[in-house]
Amino acid sequence: MKTAYRVLAYAIAVLVAVQAAAIGYAVFAQLHWIEEGGTLDEASFESAPGFGATIFHALNGGTVLLTALALLIVSFFAKIPHGVRWAIIVLACTVVQIALGTLSRLVAPIGAVHGAVALVLFGVAVMAAMRVRKPAVVEETVPANVA
Amino acid sequence: MASRSTRVRLVVSVLATVVILAPLAWLWQSSLVGKSYSVMGMGTLDYGGGPVAGHAHGATDRSVTDFVVDDARKANVRVDLVAEQQNLAIGGRSVAGYTLNGTSPGPTITAHQGELVEVHVRNASVKTGITLHWHGYDVPAAMDGVAGVTQDEVPIGGEFTYRFVANQVGTYWYHSHQVSNEQVIGGLFGTLVVLPKTGRSAAVDVVATAHTYAGMKTINGVAGDLKVPAKPGQQVRVRVINTDNGPIESWADTPLRVLSIDGYEINSPTDVTDRSVTVTAGGRADLGVTMPTDGRAVRVQVSKGTAVILGADAPAAPPQPATALDLLSYGSPAALGFDPAKANRRFDYSIGRRPGFVRGTPGLWWSINGHLYPHVPMYVVREGDIVIMHIDNHSGQLHPMHLHGHHAVVLARNGVAATGSPWWMDSLNVLEGETYDIAFVANNPGIWLDHCHHLKHAAQGMVAHLMYEGVSTPYQIGGTPDNQPE
Repeated sequence: MKTAYRVLAYAIAVLVAVQAAAIGYAVFAQLHWIEEGGTLDEASFESAPGFGATIFHALNGGTVLLTALALLIVSFFAKIPHGVRWAIIVLACTVVQIALGTLSRLVAPIGAVHGAVALVLFGVAVMAAMRVRKPAVVEETVPANVA
Repeated sequence: MASRSTRVRLVVSVLATVVILAPLAWLWQSSLVGKSYSVMGMGTLDYGGGPVAGHAHGATDRSVTDFVVDDARKANVRVDLVAEQQNLAIGGRSVAGYTLNGTSPGPTITAHQGELVEVHVRNASVKTGITLHWHGYDVPAAMDGVAGVTQDEVPIGGEFTYRFVANQVGTYWYHSHQVSNEQVIGGLFGTLVVLPKTGRSAAVDVVATAHTYAGMKTINGVAGDLKVPAKPGQQVRVRVINTDNGPIESWADTPLRVLSIDGYEINSPTDVTDRSVTVTAGGRADLGVTMPTDGRAVRVQVSKGTAVILGADAPAAPPQPATALDLLSYGSPAALGFDPAKANRRFDYSIGRRPGFVRGTPGLWWSINGHLYPHVPMYVVREGDIVIMHIDNHSGQLHPMHLHGHHAVVLARNGVAATGSPWWMDSLNVLEGETYDIAFVANNPGIWLDHCHHLKHAAQGMVAHLMYEGVSTPYQIGGTPDNQPE
């Protein structure tokens, strides 16, 4: 269970990095396309380069949420010091992040907060993973020969 | 042996897991629709404050298939169409798509008011099957062309004949309503123009069907501008048809008049000089232009990327006006032909977005009146009812709302009453944060879709239905044949 906890937590961090990569690619692919004469509007958006990456971003956000839920469930059984607490923090951060992404469609500046909170989510996921420590190496003490 | 505290901890952990998973499992299970299902059993019956229909289906029940034009009546306009799935040559590129009689768009069907139109379609090679829906045309219910609601999808080798009387003058279009989110985008559509009995009113009459194929803006299936000869002083009618999923803005470098919206004439249209005209997804706008007497050409921008050039020159693209024409106050008032104050059904169509499951898939989905597909409203009316529908959009994105089989008139937007010409429409651009009050007469019995014409949104479950009391459908969504209307 400890391994599962660590794998899931690191997976969330990796998924967040993939999220950033996808949206970064999408923005520049669309800019490149516009510079080559493409017209970007609601109709052409779906067939413009980068659209697939934005859809991936939306779907992958759901994957992060499901992974965070799995992390919380695993944390109940993993017996990691403060493991449940960190799993809740990761899940809460994920929910806030998805809410921010959704609200960004209404108020564009929220998108800036969405971008910044991604770093926070990445950080807390790594912190959670690091709660799982390898067992300490037990050193045998050799009694000194008494002359 | 485990200690007591360990056992307690295990029990608490299992309980906590159940608390998390049980609601999710319940939501997932309730979102499933089965392999095949009827829209009749879908969602929540909403009577809009009107009389409640009896649940017993007696002998007086009618099927949507009963609503047809008299078989004995001979067709005045007969068209044969063959649908194929094949690559299209657009802008020098080869694009996967669909054709009707070898082209996309398919042939423009032209009829005169009062004529009986008969369109026979055969599916030669479209793997997912096809139908033809007459967008904006208030055809008899059996002819509406919605797979799983008014007919079965037409498989490869299959055929279907649509018959309707062309009572409404104006600009319309037809498109597949089977897997429409792929087939319409891929080009399985065409234009329907119904002229007055007296013929064309303008000297130059141009069909400008706007469509985006694989990111390429086209008019009538050709990338780039459409050049049309026109002489000084001539009246020109440009029929802009938006077959895309999003709105387009049209404007010109000379004053234009909006002659009609969604096939319905605007009463006393005035010149528009510093505004663009929004043509919603699925909607149409007929634009009137008088050719300048000095002989210069006119450029009518159909959208940002394409234009109709009237005349010989190649005028530069005029800058897009900063604001769009407000149809709420355009033209002059006229009689509606019914009194919305006497409405006996009032419905809400509240569009939102929330997390949940649709067909078992988790996601952030469109909601109608707070519920996700298939738990969406079934609006029930009786023939002759006057219906008011309040639409509000708080979903974060715009939605082009399309009601089948009826034209509705806009009464108000954001609580501000309409003051211009009656604004009849079948496709309405509802922006985030907007509300609309629309009214219509329930005068076309059947079962009709009332959905978002951003066809991806429809495929994501943004579909409700308008059902006439006592009318049922024998068709099913899914199963065999595999009817997938969206």
